[in-house]
Amino acid sequence: MPDTILKPEELQPAADLVRKILEQLDRILLGRRELHRLVLIGILSRGHVLLEGLPGLGKTALVRTIGQILKLDFKRIQFTPDLMPGDVLGTHILQETSSGKRELTFQPGPVFTNILLADEINRASPKTQSAMLETMQENSVTLLGTTRLLPQPFFVLASQNPIELEGTYPLPEAQLDRFLFRVLFDNVDTEVLDRIISERRRGELPAPTWQMEREQLETLFQTMERIYLPRPVSRYIARLVSATHPGGAEATEPVNRYVSYGASPRAAIAIAEAARAHALVAGRPSVGFEDVKAVTAPVLNHRLILNYQARFDRMNASKLVAELLGRLDETGLNLPKDVVLATA
Amino acid sequence: MKPSHSQAIQSFARRLKFLSRLRAGVQMATLWFFIWGVIILAVRIAGTPQTEWLAFGILGFVPLVMVAGIRQRSRQPAFDKVRACYDRLKACGGVIMSEEAADMTAWQAHLPEASVPKLRWHSGQAMLLLSVSALFMTVALLLPERLTRFSSHRPLEIGRTVDQLQAEVQTLQQEKIVEDKKAEDLQKQLSQLKQDSSGLDPNKTWEALDHIKESNSDAAKQAAEEALNKMTELAQAETLAKAMAQAADSGMSEANATESAQDLASMLNAAKLEDGVLKGRLPPELLAGLNGLNKEQLEKLIQALELNKNSLGLTVSNLANLKLIDPALLSKCQNAGQCHNPGALAEYLSTCTNGCNALAECLLLCKGGPAAPMTWDNDTSEKDVKFQEHALPPAAHLSDAQLVGVSKAAPEPSGNDVAAGHDALDNAAASGGSAHSQVILPEHRQAVRNFFKRDN
Repeated sequence: MPDTILKPEELQPAADLVRKILEQLDRILLGRRELHRLVLIGILSRGHVLLEGLPGLGKTALVRTIGQILKLDFKRIQFTPDLMPGDVLGTHILQETSSGKRELTFQPGPVFTNILLADEINRASPKTQSAMLETMQENSVTLLGTTRLLPQPFFVLASQNPIELEGTYPLPEAQLDRFLFRVLFDNVDTEVLDRIISERRRGELPAPTWQMEREQLETLFQTMERIYLPRPVSRYIARLVSATHPGGAEATEPVNRYVSYGASPRAAIAIAEAARAHALVAGRPSVGFEDVKAVTAPVLNHRLILNYQARFDRMNASKLVAELLGRLDETGLNLPKDVVLATA
Repeated sequence: MKPSHSQAIQSFARRLKFLSRLRAGVQMATLWFFIWGVIILAVRIAGTPQTEWLAFGILGFVPLVMVAGIRQRSRQPAFDKVRACYDRLKACGGVIMSEEAADMTAWQAHLPEASVPKLRWHSGQAMLLLSVSALFMTVALLLPERLTRFSSHRPLEIGRTVDQLQAEVQTLQQEKIVEDKKAEDLQKQLSQLKQDSSGLDPNKTWEALDHIKESNSDAAKQAAEEALNKMTELAQAETLAKAMAQAADSGMSEANATESAQDLASMLNAAKLEDGVLKGRLPPELLAGLNGLNKEQLEKLIQALELNKNSLGLTVSNLANLKLIDPALLSKCQNAGQCHNPGALAEYLSTCTNGCNALAECLLLCKGGPAAPMTWDNDTSEKDVKFQEHALPPAAHLSDAQLVGVSKAAPEPSGNDVAAGHDALDNAAASGGSAHSQVILPEHRQAVRNFFKRDN
């Protein structure tokens, strides 16, 4: 492992690429700097991202822009209640060959792409939603006993509308767990809105001035592999995830009171990967505690299953995670309360 | 010269170690002061004598602090945790932590400047507790002894009283005034009282002591009265015996001698020397032959009477020495039955005819002769004396009085100052004639009793 830690000159090209991607995103989509970083971290971690926000906040625009910048194939599915799994994955159709024989040939669905925008994913039936499970976890599609790999890289950027919940099917926990992040889209401030009105006629986005080559994306992924995760940090992630379980050794009082089920080991892996990507975005060869803290909330906020008491007390997962991050000592030194540390 | 990150981490680890030891030491010292304070209090309340050694126990915190230091040494955080802490505090983004895996020299330029993080111990509460525990221990050590024994058994200071009562009982036993068994019981009871007396409940003790004192005094008084009577009788008998001896030399007639001997016998019988608590004894051969005693036998009888009288006098004197009886009674006993003119009785016995009444003559002589005539010629002069006239208020007629009831009981104590109306006490400031009682505490009884027993 020691030889794999990046040197500054090795990290620099990847850091430059990340900087350029973010510059393009920030230029095209105004007022979403933090969101852009999170989505990029999700892509670098090869994870799927669930975007949650009201209509018109730029979810589709963001996904399309990323596809353009990364020069990746991009497809969009508008999920509706009558959408069938075959509409997503593809289907076998009877075709006549040149020899006059008829045979079933596979017609790939929109899932065979690099970036899939699953718009309003919670409007599809559970049957169709579950059809996405294999694609998201295994990056493959199995139909009639034949497994077909999806093109790499493959990312699902799903969106769901938190309002108009009539006729929707909330995503089951198993599917939610497959999303690396759940990112909340909030409204932009007046300043940004003013710029959008004046600079984006009819909402048309400017074209990216720079696009990433396929090899460059591979470089980024290779660099990601060499971001070092120190043992104290991995221990912190493990303690953090354990602490989300009620009755855990370091579980806080609100966790014990409001959480029914804590985060899975997949969540711990997701935090570690996302923290690596965050370190890369920050231009560092190793993961620090601040990287973990930055990605913990979007990783855990859809993975904690809260009880009814939490609903009564208007407690949500984000507040619980924030409280947990505030209480848990990162280093495990567990200094007494009356001893305070400060930088010189 | 500024330190490198590794030097800063080492220094940080040292500071952390020192602080944790200091903190543990303060905690241990606090705990020790508190525990030792409790021990000091317990030992002092238990009444253990010679508690100076407790002061040296203060030094017990020194080895405890050392033990705390050694324990902290085994508990000090691992170096990788200290390094991780430094990494976090300096916002090094895991670069410092990565030194566990590889040489990160190439990244030094990208790191913030090395410095030792500050450790601040908010020691206010710990120091307050330390001060309180030290103060508690000091107070426990310096607390006056009378305050440390508030809850323990505090015997009453009755040693002298008990000793005096025991001496009284012993004297009464020696003088045969009190039976041996009863005297032993009293001695045991007094010893038990001395042992069991408690300052928390002195009433019982004082009452028991008063009771014994009173019973001793009563027994002594009875004995003294008896001694006084017997000594009076013996003195008179002795006077008669001496007169008989003198009269025999002067030629007393046979009839007179016989009559006198009968009188002497009746006097000795009246003395009841062998009855009562103070038993005397006369030679039986003399008592048997009282009617025909010769001179020599009379001398022996006189000696025996004197011996008994002296013995009784000594007993009374012993009782008086212990203040069991009134000194006036002692002087009475010393002068009991003294005859002013014994020669006159002898002359009477040798000269009287037609039946001598030796007994009556003896009594007359011993009680001081015939009564002196009363004279009324020394009236008080009223010359130059002025009397102030004072008009008394009209008294209510007895016929106007209303009978409420008749009771043989003592009047009830009353706190109300209700004056009896329409009588001579109308304007008096007394309490309306009702009985006034003052509760005398047991410990004051002896003092009150002594006050009313004053000689003058």
